[in-house]
Amino acid sequence: MKNSKILSIIALVLMLTMVFVGCSKETPSGDEAAEFDLNKDITVVARDAASGTRGAFHEIMKIIVKENDTEVDKLVVGALEFDGTDKVITAVEGDEYGIGYISLGSVSDRIKAVSVNGVEPTVENVKSGNYTVSRPFLLVTKGNESDLVKDFLKFTESTEGQKITNEMNFIGYVDSPADYTASGMSGTIKVAGSTSVAPLMEKLQEAYQELNPDVTFETQAQGSSQGIKAAIDGSYDVGMSSRELKEEEAKELNRHVLAIDGIAVIVNKENPKSDLASEDITKVYKGEITKWSEVK
Amino acid sequence: MQNIKRTNFSENIMQAIFFLSAFISVLAVLAICLFLFMRGIPAIAEIGFMDFIFNEKWGPTNTPASYGILSMIVGSIYVTAGAIVIGVPIGLMCAIFLAEFCPDNVYKFVKPAVNLLAGIPSIIYGFFGMEVVVPFVRENMGGNGYSIMSASLILGIMILPTIISISESSIRAVPDNYAEGSYGLGATKEETVFKVVLPAAKSGVLTSIILGIGRAVGETMAVVMVAGNAVMPLDKIELFKPIRTLTTNIVTEMSYASGLHESALISTGVVLFVFIIILNASLSLIKSKAQRN
Repeated sequence: MKNSKILSIIALVLMLTMVFVGCSKETPSGDEAAEFDLNKDITVVARDAASGTRGAFHEIMKIIVKENDTEVDKLVVGALEFDGTDKVITAVEGDEYGIGYISLGSVSDRIKAVSVNGVEPTVENVKSGNYTVSRPFLLVTKGNESDLVKDFLKFTESTEGQKITNEMNFIGYVDSPADYTASGMSGTIKVAGSTSVAPLMEKLQEAYQELNPDVTFETQAQGSSQGIKAAIDGSYDVGMSSRELKEEEAKELNRHVLAIDGIAVIVNKENPKSDLASEDITKVYKGEITKWSEVK
Repeated sequence: MQNIKRTNFSENIMQAIFFLSAFISVLAVLAICLFLFMRGIPAIAEIGFMDFIFNEKWGPTNTPASYGILSMIVGSIYVTAGAIVIGVPIGLMCAIFLAEFCPDNVYKFVKPAVNLLAGIPSIIYGFFGMEVVVPFVRENMGGNGYSIMSASLILGIMILPTIISISESSIRAVPDNYAEGSYGLGATKEETVFKVVLPAAKSGVLTSIILGIGRAVGETMAVVMVAGNAVMPLDKIELFKPIRTLTTNIVTEMSYASGLHESALISTGVVLFVFIIILNASLSLIKSKAQRN
């Protein structure tokens, strides 16, 4: 009886201390955020091995090193790898010393997108070609698509479709888009692929449904390779890809360029740097630079 | 006469239903086994068994690609070991407290809390880990927070309910006369609990630990959000550095993979499956030993 009382008192005290420790930890972290220690290690955040964003970014930034027949991704050992844009944002948002890369259209005020070689990552700069970190957004089909799918593709390439694309901070690719008139068709379009293209696709679908209320969509966003695969094997009508097609894929598919997307290099909001040289980004991702103080 | 016939008939039907139920669960296991091994083994053969298991280089998008999962095998073992170090002492102490010392009014509060812990979905654990545990580790222990430590902490909490509930019931199952005998010899309550009751409940406690290990090895969603998923060469693995486990390797790359890469991920599943088989085998070994005693 006595023992049980003592034990329950101990348990209570332990719980209380944990609560207080939890509270006291909260306050200093708020103050620390004010000063940025340039000598801390950079937290390198990347996407998982087969994401379209990673493929494009690592290629543009020459993190993938090609020699003769070999092609090796030299991503620094210990870089965090996440399977989605949202997780990359959360990781960089939470870590003052983090650096990551996401699609320009996904940039929000949770993180800071830096200039590369003095060029700000804006729609205008991507369009003019000054901001060089960019890649195409593709819609791929097998070539035997129904009239409905053709009509939807026509919509994405029309004035209306391209307007939505530009509103989403992507860069419309069609030079002189035609006006779209609703066809009044009905049916289901199955779309699969890149998580980077998905937000744009969603907006396009909404607008298309407003014009053609009898059309429904089934959308799955699990990555470019999955979308391309699904389009090739015919399980989905349209594949979304945020990277160029590989040779063997291109042979089997029709390729529609939906938009051009910049890839933004993002850092934590506390980070004083707002302009990085592309060589430095490459060095950070290859592990040749490990501290923010070494970045110019 | 007719009555008996009818009973026989319904008896047979029920027997068939029960048999079918048993058969379906066995069928599910068989189907999964078959799928795993049929898809996984050819890939292991193509990569080469030694190159797959004992190579620490994982570069599925490189040319030539390399598919070595040694780093992830070691990662899984480390993370699980960490979870055991954190979860077993706490869980065991909690079980002893609940079974032997806990006053009724405290029990009414603690027991449902433990049960609730078991019911929390792993994605919630992962979210909690990413938003609370990772920053905590980063600010108080070092590194960038995505680490073996964070994963072990989260898993340590996740295996608590398994360890607590099974250990508690096995401690409660120890016959009262053991304790009474001990009291009769003049032992105190503490001596009785730790030297008589706990050893008698040994097999149940071991079972709980092994089931806890099984949960920790197989946990995916929570680990993928806190471990950082970096493939580390063996000599670079540290407590406060990121790590990739077998499960997180599958989940981060599955949706994007194709061809041999996809098969290699299924083969990773085969290795994980072998892990679980070994765990279950040791579990039944413990049980049969306990029965012999």
